[in-house]
Amino acid sequence: MTLRLTINGRESLAPDDPMTPLVDLLRERFHLTGAKPVCREGFCGACLVMIDGEPTLSCLTPGGLAEGRDIRTIEGLSPAGRLNPVQNALEAHDAVQCGMCFPGMVMTLTHALRRNAAPSREELRHALTGNTCRCTGYERILDAALSAAGALQGGEP
Amino acid sequence: MSEISTVDPSAAVMDLKRRDARDKLTGRTRYTMDRAGAGMLHAAVLRSPLAAGRIRRLDTSRAAALTGVHAIVTADDAPGLVGIGIADHPLFARDVVRYIGEPLAAVAAERPEDAAAALAAIEIEIEPLPAVITMADALAEGAQLVHPGWQDYEVLFEGGRREGNVAWEATAIRGDVDAAFARPDAVIVENTFRVGRQNHLAFEPRAVVAHYEDGRFHIETSTQVPWTVRNATARVLGVPASEVRVTVPPVGGGFGLKFDMAIEPFAALLARASGRTVRLVNSREEEMLTCLCRENAEIRIRSAVTRAGEILGREAVVLMDCGAYGGEQIFLTTMTAHTLGGNYRVGASRLVSRAIYTHTAPNGAFRACNGVYNTFALERHTDEIAQAIGMDPLAFRYRNVLGDGDLGATGQRYEGEVLRPMLERMDTLRGIPTAATRMADGRLYGRATTVGTWFVFTGPSAATVNMNADGSATLVTSGVEIGSGSMMTGLPQIVAATLGIRPEDVVVRQADTDAAGFDVGVGGGRTTVSLGAASLAAAGEVRGKLLRVAADMLDADPEHLTIREGRIEVAGSNGPGLSIAEVASRAQTLLGPIAGTGGFTSKGTPAMSGCAAGHFIDALDIPVFAVHDCEVAVDPDTGHVEMLAYRVVQDVGRALNPRAILGQIQGGVVQGMGYALQEEVTIGSEGNILQTGFETYRVPLAPDVVPVEVSLYEGAPSLGPLGIKGAGEVPILNVGASVACAVANAIGRPVHELPLTPPHVAALMLGRRSAPVLPHIAGRWTDNLVKKA
Amino acid sequence: MIDTHPSLYIAPTLGDALSALGERGAEGAAFAGGTWIMRAPIRHQPLGRAYVALGKIEELQRVDVTPAHVEIGACATHATIAAALAPCSDLAVLAEAAGRSANPAVRSAATIGGNLMAADFAAADLVPALLCLEASVEIVARDGVERMTISDFLLKRQYLACDRLLSRIRIERADRRSAHTRLPLRKAGDYPVAIVSLSARIEAGRLMEPRIAVGSVEPVARRWTPLEAALEGAPIDIAAARHAAEAYAAYFQGREGIEAPGWYRISVLPALIGRALQSLSS
Ligand code: FES
Ligand code: FES
Repeated sequence: MTLRLTINGRESLAPDDPMTPLVDLLRERFHLTGAKPVCREGFCGACLVMIDGEPTLSCLTPGGLAEGRDIRTIEGLSPAGRLNPVQNALEAHDAVQCGMCFPGMVMTLTHALRRNAAPSREELRHALTGNTCRCTGYERILDAALSAAGALQGGEP
Repeated sequence: MSEISTVDPSAAVMDLKRRDARDKLTGRTRYTMDRAGAGMLHAAVLRSPLAAGRIRRLDTSRAAALTGVHAIVTADDAPGLVGIGIADHPLFARDVVRYIGEPLAAVAAERPEDAAAALAAIEIEIEPLPAVITMADALAEGAQLVHPGWQDYEVLFEGGRREGNVAWEATAIRGDVDAAFARPDAVIVENTFRVGRQNHLAFEPRAVVAHYEDGRFHIETSTQVPWTVRNATARVLGVPASEVRVTVPPVGGGFGLKFDMAIEPFAALLARASGRTVRLVNSREEEMLTCLCRENAEIRIRSAVTRAGEILGREAVVLMDCGAYGGEQIFLTTMTAHTLGGNYRVGASRLVSRAIYTHTAPNGAFRACNGVYNTFALERHTDEIAQAIGMDPLAFRYRNVLGDGDLGATGQRYEGEVLRPMLERMDTLRGIPTAATRMADGRLYGRATTVGTWFVFTGPSAATVNMNADGSATLVTSGVEIGSGSMMTGLPQIVAATLGIRPEDVVVRQADTDAAGFDVGVGGGRTTVSLGAASLAAAGEVRGKLLRVAADMLDADPEHLTIREGRIEVAGSNGPGLSIAEVASRAQTLLGPIAGTGGFTSKGTPAMSGCAAGHFIDALDIPVFAVHDCEVAVDPDTGHVEMLAYRVVQDVGRALNPRAILGQIQGGVVQGMGYALQEEVTIGSEGNILQTGFETYRVPLAPDVVPVEVSLYEGAPSLGPLGIKGAGEVPILNVGASVACAVANAIGRPVHELPLTPPHVAALMLGRRSAPVLPHIAGRWTDNLVKKA
Repeated sequence: MIDTHPSLYIAPTLGDALSALGERGAEGAAFAGGTWIMRAPIRHQPLGRAYVALGKIEELQRVDVTPAHVEIGACATHATIAAALAPCSDLAVLAEAAGRSANPAVRSAATIGGNLMAADFAAADLVPALLCLEASVEIVARDGVERMTISDFLLKRQYLACDRLLSRIRIERADRRSAHTRLPLRKAGDYPVAIVSLSARIEAGRLMEPRIAVGSVEPVARRWTPLEAALEGAPIDIAAARHAAEAYAAYFQGREGIEAPGWYRISVLPALIGRALQSLSS
């Protein structure tokens, strides 16, 4: 038996080991190494992927529970090498340092801005409670996200 | 070289976008932990469960026979000892174990679960021995020695005094301290301080992929110091250093953690033994248990001051826990003279810093190593002095900060008036401080301004610049991009400004010890300074060659040519000119491809002879100063400290990429805030570190932080290329100090320990906690020194 | 070496889940949000042999709100509960507890059932909230349904037979107000070192039948009955309530932990009582 996963719109097969965390399947099986297993306990957010449009901790999600759902990783978040408005803003604001936290940051912020086109800085701070960054001190990430607010409405994936 | 001196530094100044951001934002960057090779094996390390013990048996035969297991290596495979100053550190525990987490064996297997099974099948018997867990234990009469054979170790750097559990001792003595303390007008102020460890919590754990090909090791690793890894790996494995090649993919956070050899030799040995590519990645728990933390430290400091505020004399004892092996702390004993001995003009002083062995995980380097807690101690001590003599703490600082011609603790003469104008700059940035002590919501308000002295760790660097016929240039160094952006922006800016091309046209070669010359490593704020100076020299040579070829082509005097915006032209309006690509390709046909090389090393700024003993650096080549100001609110019910505002005036020499520096300052201040308020490493009675991951080791999150207000102070003297100084390391320097002083002011009680977690602050307010008692630091300063045999 | 990976069966209905658990016996365990079970490796606990996932069982995800009561399926996530209860001022304590715990991604995975079943998790936010609401729980088995009070459940949860399942939490609504105050060490994002959950009827400015539960201070949350008695019928007076809390603080034995010592957890209780009362009356 195999697991049938839909990753970035493509059907992918993995050996039937349903309790293996999704993050390990993504990385070791499918070479999608964007999601990072930094803490494996739900506190850092570096492993976030979208499942059915919701940011989901791939370190705490067994692969078996992701079957039949739409899994989108950072590699497939925006089509072929393009940046979505959040990614664009993060680049423009020179927010990136080591970069390890950004795959997860992008997931959380993309989702937050889709839900709320005009969040306050405080709201965004709290939305990032599960996304640790050890390098940047966050403020530039917030600047960037605020500048991208509004750009994610209107149905981009 | 006149080619260099004519470079216009302003051409290098810009807010340059990072070239690595896009891949990092789309998940395409392959850090070491993301790399995989065909037929790759997975490695794992068996670690000691005991802090001290004798290894009675270590039998790998059962494990080796398991399916999927390809190789097992132990101490027998790694004969050498490494270290800084003293070679005291084996790769695997040999005969005895000295800390919980010390490696005993490493395995490589088909799958991670096979490797884990193999570890479980290794049979070990360790007979427990008494352990010294704290520095007080280690310095107690008749304490168990962590290294009973300490006298037999090879000394790699002469000058430090050592004895038993004192791994290294460095002293700085200047002037007659006894006379200063004996003066009738002297007010004596004495304090003790204690700080815990800080874990870097770099997001990418230490990780390595090793190959063994054609009789050589190829190590891809997440490191800041490719050359150290090359040389140290060779040393522990007992092979010539030329047989080790180190390359470095993008590094997912360093902060000093990766400033030493780490797990590379395990993977290298396993790759040789198995003939396969081997990957080893530390788990987060391993990172927590064996992180080369910022060391815990204990400090006693005593000063003699006059009522008018003159500092007559000062003495201090600083104990630094190096853990089971000396490592970086041996070197860092040097820094006390420049950090605790920095900031202020002092009549006479004597300082000793001692690296102490304990049966705990070894410590290491962390952004502004040693400086962070010595600045905390010095600045809190300074506030207590000001209070003792009834002087405003800011006025006391204005009166005493180091100025032009003042002497440091090793007798170094500081150049230029820097700190005082920086204090003035801070006054402007902050405005007139409010006198409030209680906020409308009932919380206690506190504010403080502190100063700090740091330096740029210079040391050797090499660079090569190849000028390509298409007008681009390739920069080859052993510099590593660890996230600060120096390699991705700073160096290309320097090379581009020298060659009159765009930074985008400078290709940066990934660090490779086979391709580039020696480099001390990326850290200590040295990247843009040392690597920058080497790159500037290399680019300068290329520039000279280009100008000479162009002069021939244009039939002009090289002195009359300008080089900018991709063109070399005869100076003056409408002068004839050529594109740089044209000149480069012409040169290639005529003389062969153009290249330049550059090297840099420290200048060796003089100290006063006889002041410093056991120091690796007697004086600072490039001092860096910082003034910080912090406002806090303290919840009187719970002890929670909220940072309300934070301001930084930082001495940067010249700001090449102001936006990148501001990013480093925000990040560094927030790391310092974690150190000051949240990040706690607890060592249990067995010697194990109790915080094992993100749940228990709490770093600042987005809701905890504030935007730091920054003013970059330019123009202070610097030996750095184009007048720059390192800017990435120093932002963390006085955060612990500023927060502690502000909290002390808010609660009206002195602060002597960090971190100021809510329970700690509550304990201070309730009078449940007072200054640490340190009986293992003798009252008489001289009694603290290793006695000459 | 055992080389078979743990199995995971995704049960389509509650009945299937119960049969599957019955078949698997001691080897089996229910799997809800996974935020506790998936961290077994970092607690150095082996994963179980066979899991039965409850995430596809519709009735277990639901939160039914009526004017008289609220019924919450055991697999409703913290995020779902916070959203569903946001309009109910009497249940503010539960909405707050669900809406502030951990971080957003954990809240959208972690379930109320998981929170209640994790007996080793002292800092669970929902437990004191449910205690002060005097919630009851429903345990299902193939042969029937058992109801018990939340306090009974906390005593019995470790001994729940492997073929029985916590299925539903029920709260009777009343004309009461409630508040949840938690004290994380950071602003947010970590487990609280102490929690006070409070629910009371307010009559002419007085506290009637106050129910106070304290979480994270001891290994298991429990009601602060002496303080409840002391505050019965008292006017809402924050200073007086804090005093009373100080007087009865010895009722608890603070648990020692690396994040906070026992004395600290107790020393903050009066302030948390004050804050709870403040938000109750605002
Ligand atoms: S790895 Fe999943 S939250 Fe940290
Ligand atoms: S940029 Fe390094 S962790 Fe965020």
